[in-house]
Amino acid sequence: MKLSFYPGCSLEGMANDYGRSIEAVFKRLEIELIELEDWSCCGSTAAHSLDEMMSVALPARNLAAAEKIGFDLVSPCAQCFNRLCHSQQMIQKKLFDVPWQVNGDIEVHDMTRFLATADMIKAVKDRVTRPLKGLNIVCYYGCQMVRSPRISGYTDYENPLTMDQLISAVGANAIDWSYKATCCGAGIGIARKDIQGSLTRRIYREAVRSGADAIAVSCPLCQMNLDVIQRNSRKKIVPVFYFTELIRMAFEGYGMPSWFKMHIANPIPLLRTKGLLSG
Amino acid sequence: MKSETHDNPPVAKKQRRLIGDRGDHFLSRIQGETGENLSACYQCERCTNGCPVSHYMDIKPHQVIRYVQLGWRKELLSSGTIWICLSCETCTTYCPNEVGVAETINHLRTMAAQSTIEPKEKHLAIFHRTFMEQLERFGRVNEFWLMNAYTLKPGVLREKIKSGLMKEEFFLGLDLLKKGRLHVLPQRSREIAKIKALYRLKKER
Repeated sequence: MKLSFYPGCSLEGMANDYGRSIEAVFKRLEIELIELEDWSCCGSTAAHSLDEMMSVALPARNLAAAEKIGFDLVSPCAQCFNRLCHSQQMIQKKLFDVPWQVNGDIEVHDMTRFLATADMIKAVKDRVTRPLKGLNIVCYYGCQMVRSPRISGYTDYENPLTMDQLISAVGANAIDWSYKATCCGAGIGIARKDIQGSLTRRIYREAVRSGADAIAVSCPLCQMNLDVIQRNSRKKIVPVFYFTELIRMAFEGYGMPSWFKMHIANPIPLLRTKGLLSG
Repeated sequence: MKSETHDNPPVAKKQRRLIGDRGDHFLSRIQGETGENLSACYQCERCTNGCPVSHYMDIKPHQVIRYVQLGWRKELLSSGTIWICLSCETCTTYCPNEVGVAETINHLRTMAAQSTIEPKEKHLAIFHRTFMEQLERFGRVNEFWLMNAYTLKPGVLREKIKSGLMKEEFFLGLDLLKKGRLHVLPQRSREIAKIKALYRLKKER
């Protein structure tokens, strides 16, 4: 099976551990990811804030590259996924003219939903060598992946379950909580840190209250925000994992300390007490 | 606004606004440009109750729709709301009448960005503009360069030093560098000329 893959800017910088874990997981699943030829930024939040034409034209360039390859497109970043879908819908409705050759007929998946189809969950279950027993995890989806339903196509936007299914498939305990799709404020995080801080801290507090050991996320910006607020914190440390990191851990039997050295909220003590770490 | 006079001292009595002056014109313009049916709004306030940042907004989301219906363009474009909105789409999702509240706010923001009205949340406007500049330069966005370019924008650095944010951000950046999260050298898109051409197209419009 082959897929085209649009990593997005974050996976080259802040979230390159996410990129590495995706690579490892898909290698085990025997799916080949073909990175788009010379991709460019999707212009998330800034482009559609300032100019709607740009917000359609910038992702369309990547859609054009994906159409050239012809396989379904999968995007790990929630922001990119949202912008790609939005751009494609606008092109299908012929509301904008873009300077690239795009038909808008390619299938765009986000990574969690692609891995949470019945077949893929079965494939994931088959490859688990050591279930992550005893790990209590809350799944945090963020806003851009599930909303708005008319763009993302989610039908269970109030209570999304795709990541919970995957986390349960690798043997961990997925806890139900009510802040699954609340926004973490990343869009204005740099210019208005006060607002973003209050939103992110609320999500962290709720995660602690629901009894979670760790948070599983699928968006690089959510991970970043939830991680950074725990810097120099004296409260309970709740490590923030990309969901692919957890799948990888179950696939390979144990976690390696070197995978997690980019995390600010250090997950090593937690994994050690749960016996999920090598050495 | 017809009734504005400059010789009156700006005191006490709030000026009465004419309801519906040019309202139809503005409403139909916004409806046409966004493709949303804003007349369907019956002010149930579900959008405002769902909004995670409504308490930071000067005009609440349901009021935004009402203001559009009334044609209060200037109040909308000079508000902080349009910049504070996170585009998290909670409002659009919750609306029982399928009014695209987030899309409308987003459209108002693009209108404000292209108008001469000074944005109320200056730093947010500067940040968005910096992001687009970085995109034009490299074709991709590097967090390290983005943060530095943003910090060096006029007014931002002074503000950051004053509020003590600079120190905090410096040590955070150092931490992230040590952990290998920040990449000092930016990645480029090879066909950057095409993206630059897109920007030129935008300027000509």
